[in-house]
Amino acid sequence: MEKIWEITRAEGLAEWVLMELQGEIEARYSTGLAGNLLGDLHYPTEGIPVLIVGQHILQGEIIHLEKSFVVLVKHTPREQDCDELGHQTGTTRYLVTALIKHKILFKTRPKPIITNVPKKV
Amino acid sequence: MLEEAGEVLENMLKASCLPLGFIVFLPAVLLLVAPPLPAAAARKRRSPRGAGMSRTRAEVDATLQAAKLRAAELLPTALSLRFGPGAPCCLLELEPALCRHLEAGRSLVIRGEKDEQAVLCSGDRTYELKVADTSNLLLCIPGCQTPEQLAREPAPPDLIHAEIFGFANNYWELRRCRPKLQKLRRLLMENTYEGPDSPKEVDSNHSRYTTEDLLDVVQASEEEIMAHLRVLNACEIGGHWRILEFDYEMKLLNHVTQLVDSESWSFSKVPLSICLQELGPLEPEEMIEHCLKCYGRRYIDEGEVYFELSADKICRATAQMLLQNAVKFNLAEFQAVWQQSVPEGMVTSLDQLKGLALVDRHSRPEIIFLLRADDLPEGNQERFNALFSVREKWTEEDIAPYIQDLCGEKQTTGALLTKYARCSVQNGVRVYNSRRPVS
Repeated sequence: MEKIWEITRAEGLAEWVLMELQGEIEARYSTGLAGNLLGDLHYPTEGIPVLIVGQHILQGEIIHLEKSFVVLVKHTPREQDCDELGHQTGTTRYLVTALIKHKILFKTRPKPIITNVPKKV
Repeated sequence: MLEEAGEVLENMLKASCLPLGFIVFLPAVLLLVAPPLPAAAARKRRSPRGAGMSRTRAEVDATLQAAKLRAAELLPTALSLRFGPGAPCCLLELEPALCRHLEAGRSLVIRGEKDEQAVLCSGDRTYELKVADTSNLLLCIPGCQTPEQLAREPAPPDLIHAEIFGFANNYWELRRCRPKLQKLRRLLMENTYEGPDSPKEVDSNHSRYTTEDLLDVVQASEEEIMAHLRVLNACEIGGHWRILEFDYEMKLLNHVTQLVDSESWSFSKVPLSICLQELGPLEPEEMIEHCLKCYGRRYIDEGEVYFELSADKICRATAQMLLQNAVKFNLAEFQAVWQQSVPEGMVTSLDQLKGLALVDRHSRPEIIFLLRADDLPEGNQERFNALFSVREKWTEEDIAPYIQDLCGEKQTTGALLTKYARCSVQNGVRVYNSRRPVS
């Protein structure tokens, strides 16, 4: 059976942002990244966006993408999409859930943040 | 290979699942995700996941201070980024035209069989699909606003919580390519139409294709397929697309030209209604009208439908009819017979045979033989190999009709020749031959 994938937009097409980082991200504890904070993102009034991750600070730039990205999510077929024998019809559907027109690129070496006394909140 | 592409896609989706922990590639820099600085001491005893715990603006400000950033120099809105539960997602890079196509609600289709390279089709264009790897980490963040977007908000919040949807380290990129249409002709040639009385029409075992069938298997967009069907003089009969068997097509054409001759009509004003009336007893009316459409241009004059027949197309078809009966022809004899065979008043010219026949002016006597562009291979290198097997050295004028369809967007035949052939000058004439030995 020939494979055909159909890509359509989802009902609501949101606009997201892409953040591009060099290197790896590891969770301090081995429970994985999910649910953990990444960091704080700040925009200086004039200048380059700043990202604080753990004990590092990164400087980046905002790039308007000439060619946008779309985020594809596989659409799980419902009951109606199967034929009488219960086999899935030949088309796999991917939904475009978001459009990305900007990316924030961090490509400089992170600088460590040195603190003397942790400030109590 | 679509299968491989499919595997890569599946792997990409699996790789984007956050719970995997971390992605390993060239570590330019190692970042540690940890509870934010100032509260580190206080948080040591809490669960490392920190799920459900939202950062407050006060905490953000504390971090800012520790990082020695001055709040006065920053926009009032900060963004706190957190990893979401992780969902499989993948990224596709689209040029603006394709974005608009999707935003308008239309779909894109990826087509390809197991042994074919996957292509992506919009309504009227075809693109090759390639996976682009990057050593960087790409995070997809919903709700993360840029400074411009924040500036447009009437009352921007002082803290936005954004949850990272997923991440990737590769994406799909597209490159516009020629539609792969040779398959279309090959499929339709499996069962050519020889007329309604042919035994083939009764037997339903022969392959027949509807528009939907063709869209499923031909790696091209719908518009490109429709345009090519017109080029092939294909006809939709009983819901299926059929190519006419050449002899049958010539039979229809002969009926028309003989009628024009006996009625002493001008070739530029052939009335449809009388054609159907006179020829209807001989052939189905739809076929007569189809023949007129293929070989002429339809127009309306004073409420009546007429066709302006094309001398070029009729002469070319007549030549094909003559040439296909022999391997080669004496050029002078051929030209004489050809001129006699076309309807009176039409003038034959070798220019009409570009892409159909080739003249050899170096042989004694000069000869002409059938060489059809659409019988040649579709791939660039294979096409050039086939052409150089037929003839070792080509002038640009002779080879151009046979490589015209290989040109991509904004590409010329000259550029193709530079890439695939070697140029030399022979007797003051520039000729092209193969770059490699041809068997």
